[in-house]
Amino acid sequence: MQRRLANVNIWTVTAMAIIAALFLPNMTIVTGLFTPSNENWEHMKEFVLWSFIKNSLILVVATAGATIFIGLSLAWLIAQYQFPFRRFFKWALILPLSIPPFIGAYTYHGIFNYTGVIQTTLRDRFGMELNPSHFDIMNLPGAIFIYTVFLYPYVYTITQVFLSQQSASLIESTRLLGKGPWRTFFQVVVPISRISIIAGASLVILEVLNDYGVVKYYGIQTFTTGIFQTWFGLGDIETSIKLAASLMGFVIVILLIEKVLRGRRQYSYSSTKVRPLPLIQLTGWKAVAAAGYCLSILALGFFIPIAQLIEWTILTFGTIPLDEFMSYMRNSIVVAGLSATAIIVFALIVGNFARLVQGRFAKLLPKLTVLGYSIPGAVIAVAVVTAFVALDEFLAPLYQLAGMNTTLVLSVSIILLITAYIIRFFAIGYSSIETGYDKIGTDFQDASRLLGAGLTRTFLKVDMPMMKGAIISGFILVFIDVLKEIPLTLILRPFNFDTLSTKAFQYASDEKIMEASQASLLIVGISALAIVIFYKFLEKEMD
Amino acid sequence: MNKLIYLVLAFLLLVLTACGSNDTSAPATEGASEEAEESTEVNLYTARHYDVDDELYKKFEEETGIKVNLIKGEADELLERIKREGDGTEADLFLTADAGRLFRAKDDGLLQAVSSDLLNEQIPENFRDTDQMWYGLTKRARVLVYNKETVTPEELSTYEALTEDEWNGRVLIRGSENVYNQSLLASFIELNGEEEAKEWAAGLVNNFARDPEGGDRDQAKAIAAGIGDVAIMNSYYFGQMLNSEDPAEVEVAESLGLFFPNQETDGTHVNVSGAGVVKSSQNKENAIKLLEFLSAPEAQGTFAEANYEYPVNEEVEPSELLKSWGEFKEQDISLSALGENNAKSILIFNEVGWK
Amino acid sequence: MFVSIENLSFSYANTKATALDSFSLQIKKGEVISILGRSGSGKSTVLRLLAGLEKPSVGKVSIQDEVLVDDQTFVQPEKRGIGMVFQDYALFPHLTVADNILFGLFRMKRSAKQTRLQEVLELVELQGYEKRYPHQLSGGQQQRVAIARALAPNPHLLLLDEPFSNLDAELQEKIRKELRDILKKANITSIFVTHDEKDAHILADRIVKIKNGQTEFIGRPCDLIDVYRQEKQSLPAVSEEKELIYT
Repeated sequence: MQRRLANVNIWTVTAMAIIAALFLPNMTIVTGLFTPSNENWEHMKEFVLWSFIKNSLILVVATAGATIFIGLSLAWLIAQYQFPFRRFFKWALILPLSIPPFIGAYTYHGIFNYTGVIQTTLRDRFGMELNPSHFDIMNLPGAIFIYTVFLYPYVYTITQVFLSQQSASLIESTRLLGKGPWRTFFQVVVPISRISIIAGASLVILEVLNDYGVVKYYGIQTFTTGIFQTWFGLGDIETSIKLAASLMGFVIVILLIEKVLRGRRQYSYSSTKVRPLPLIQLTGWKAVAAAGYCLSILALGFFIPIAQLIEWTILTFGTIPLDEFMSYMRNSIVVAGLSATAIIVFALIVGNFARLVQGRFAKLLPKLTVLGYSIPGAVIAVAVVTAFVALDEFLAPLYQLAGMNTTLVLSVSIILLITAYIIRFFAIGYSSIETGYDKIGTDFQDASRLLGAGLTRTFLKVDMPMMKGAIISGFILVFIDVLKEIPLTLILRPFNFDTLSTKAFQYASDEKIMEASQASLLIVGISALAIVIFYKFLEKEMD
Repeated sequence: MNKLIYLVLAFLLLVLTACGSNDTSAPATEGASEEAEESTEVNLYTARHYDVDDELYKKFEEETGIKVNLIKGEADELLERIKREGDGTEADLFLTADAGRLFRAKDDGLLQAVSSDLLNEQIPENFRDTDQMWYGLTKRARVLVYNKETVTPEELSTYEALTEDEWNGRVLIRGSENVYNQSLLASFIELNGEEEAKEWAAGLVNNFARDPEGGDRDQAKAIAAGIGDVAIMNSYYFGQMLNSEDPAEVEVAESLGLFFPNQETDGTHVNVSGAGVVKSSQNKENAIKLLEFLSAPEAQGTFAEANYEYPVNEEVEPSELLKSWGEFKEQDISLSALGENNAKSILIFNEVGWK
Repeated sequence: MFVSIENLSFSYANTKATALDSFSLQIKKGEVISILGRSGSGKSTVLRLLAGLEKPSVGKVSIQDEVLVDDQTFVQPEKRGIGMVFQDYALFPHLTVADNILFGLFRMKRSAKQTRLQEVLELVELQGYEKRYPHQLSGGQQQRVAIARALAPNPHLLLLDEPFSNLDAELQEKIRKELRDILKKANITSIFVTHDEKDAHILADRIVKIKNGQTEFIGRPCDLIDVYRQEKQSLPAVSEEKELIYT
């Protein structure tokens, strides 16, 4: 550790400060692990804890498996083959990410339930006698389906960016060694993309563990439901923090496994011989099958729910006030843009630090910042409010000096909300940036420094431009995630501050899913636009 | 590379200008500090998300010149926020859709006692907190709906009767994480004691048509789908379904009947939306004015018409639809009991395996 | 001495074995040194230590009596005035040939930069390739760009890590000669690491042989041939081997 750390200076200081700031609020939760258990905890253990754990595990394992399968297969198709509409699918396959899972869950239930389009069509058009329970998706498999079709893009984007920048010779040499496409896939592509697969899958896992909207509506009791039940229902914040802390423990285990799997191996491309993969032209039924596969995933994750939302929008148009929607939209874009920018900047600094330091402990340090992603939003919210109120008390003399007679300034400002977003979503930006750093390795940095450039110049002139892809994809992911975030926005917003997602939630939580469709569509529209703009830009740059 | 920088700069600029022009909805901070004495605003933390509420606040602003600043959220999170913000909190009024939460706010020492003749006149005694810490604004009944083809109203009587064998596999109700169910069970604990309440919960679980899923409306749809025959749901959801924009939903609602249970015994379970003035409120007078406005006949009528809720103000008639369901006998318990017994009800739900 | 290396030792974190043990070497100005050894022998570690990319556990390095590293001092790599040609060249893929070479010249004036660019391009015979990107060049051309880039800021010392390993055999022969010409023309003190004895014999003024982090031999190429003759006649015992070390 000593060896490199000595060279790191300002980067170390900044990175440590960021890590501390992001981790501190979570500390309140870690301490919860060590409080003695009370009778509520015993009650939970006796009656429900086991089923919480079981359901959470099933959800996590099944969703991770399904998203890896879909995400990786799509990434490979796009990176290696030429088929009709490939260029369109390349960016369109990220679109499902623009739909908040809870909206997706409501929408799919709307499609499948008794008054939904499927059952009514079959009943009224075809006069079929139906067993409604066959169409029930409000159960564990249903939730897995929802999470999979809306979260697979995490695996897809990260892996796709990685694969598209892999050296062609690696793949070509495998094929020349007589391996067919399938064996190439399993024996070379899967192992080399392991880091990005794990990075993407852990985002999916954390997102699933954290989610409350889908499981609550579908009536599935998970760890997160347990946290809320003890906190709100029993009014026992200690036990709920204990549960949150256990959840965090679980996440730490996942992170450690990731680290171990990643091991000491480095798959960085450190040479100039990186030629983009030449695409293999698919013809005939293979081309149709490839395009069909992409299209059906896209339909499930995007077109079908969008069509339903559009239908609802038409049905309810004019019944809800729309005059404020411009300001909701602006609010959404502002907070998402600011948070995403901040997260990417911080992630670049912390990522650079992680790359430069040596020693196991120091390497693990940045991982701590990822924990925020595992904690249910509402719990983070409480931690952040507590921290900000303390900060305001500390700054109170200053406020008085400025002639203000209120004690809470920061705590009621938008900064509170943005800080919470940063804590919550840092993992997403960081994951993308980390993969980027992993890929470029340290050789270019060494070369740059031997040419007389210091760390900062190296960072600006070498690392940043080489990581453009990672930076942009990280930005988009965070931007979209903030856009659709719900519990934090709801609790921590300043007065009179509405965003599209709070508006969508307002209706959905009151079981007015049709009325929620307008705001949902706008969320999707903005996210989709962000994806398109950035991809067009990226494509131009790459040429 | 340069292009990237320009893009980022352009974006930041956009964001900044957007921020700058954001002051139309500027929060209370500056206003409160400069014009504390005049106090032309009131800060509301509300767990009610209805559009009709916004219309009422606008009307209040027009009539009184007092600006209503809003944070909408979930009741428990808002409570926690007020708690954490401590004495410095900007909140003046806390509004929520469950008496249990109002009790908890009071219990946690977050509310203060306020009174006015107008409030006492407009809101009947049993919908006011005994210590005047909070006031009920609207009522909602937790009723039974049934399949008109398979069930006759004569077969229905009480919540308790649904635990009998004849209803095996026919009863629908949502999950236990829902506060309306928690308050329902809490009322039984108050009326019949913990033992009997637990027996009821266990008996009902035994008769479930399926594991609880979805919201109140989904229970009604499940009846139409033939999964069960009778469901427990809130009255206003049924009203909303009857007036839905989706013809299929209207069709479902029309195939169902509504029944007020326990009319011969202790009455149908009723919960309230209500509000209380926050302890460290800096705009207490305005908060009281808003409470008075919301319980006045005009606002009460709006609640009833637009949201199918029962008004608490006895001068105001329920909407035509609500009247068509007839009058009914309400549970006669202190609403605070819903809050007092809330934790117990959750423990019982867990023990009997009500998901 | 121009470059003085005393007692340099190093072991990687998380491992017990020493990667380099008490390595000492004195180099004259303009001398071309070859460090010969199998992979994993510790030969590349010497370069990384000289460059400042790793910090030695003990030892001292100085160039022209200026201490780069010892117990008290550690000069950052960018301040050392040492150039390095990496095994895989590490040419910045997002920059053109010209920008790669100009990268190290950022402190110079604009006109001086262009002059220097043309000088080094001429030296490596790549005039006209300024606008190309690294991936548009052949392996030999890439290597020459890497050398030009490393030479451009006028380093005191040039380090080359396995300069021929990425080239095919035919090209190797040609480049070896070219490289020797370039190094001599530039009159630059240089150290290159290789596992191929032929490289060492053709290019080097002196050869250092390393095995398992230990220095086995230091001397002129012809001396090394003598050693082998003796070895063939009778395998030297450990004690004899030590005597061979030339100081």
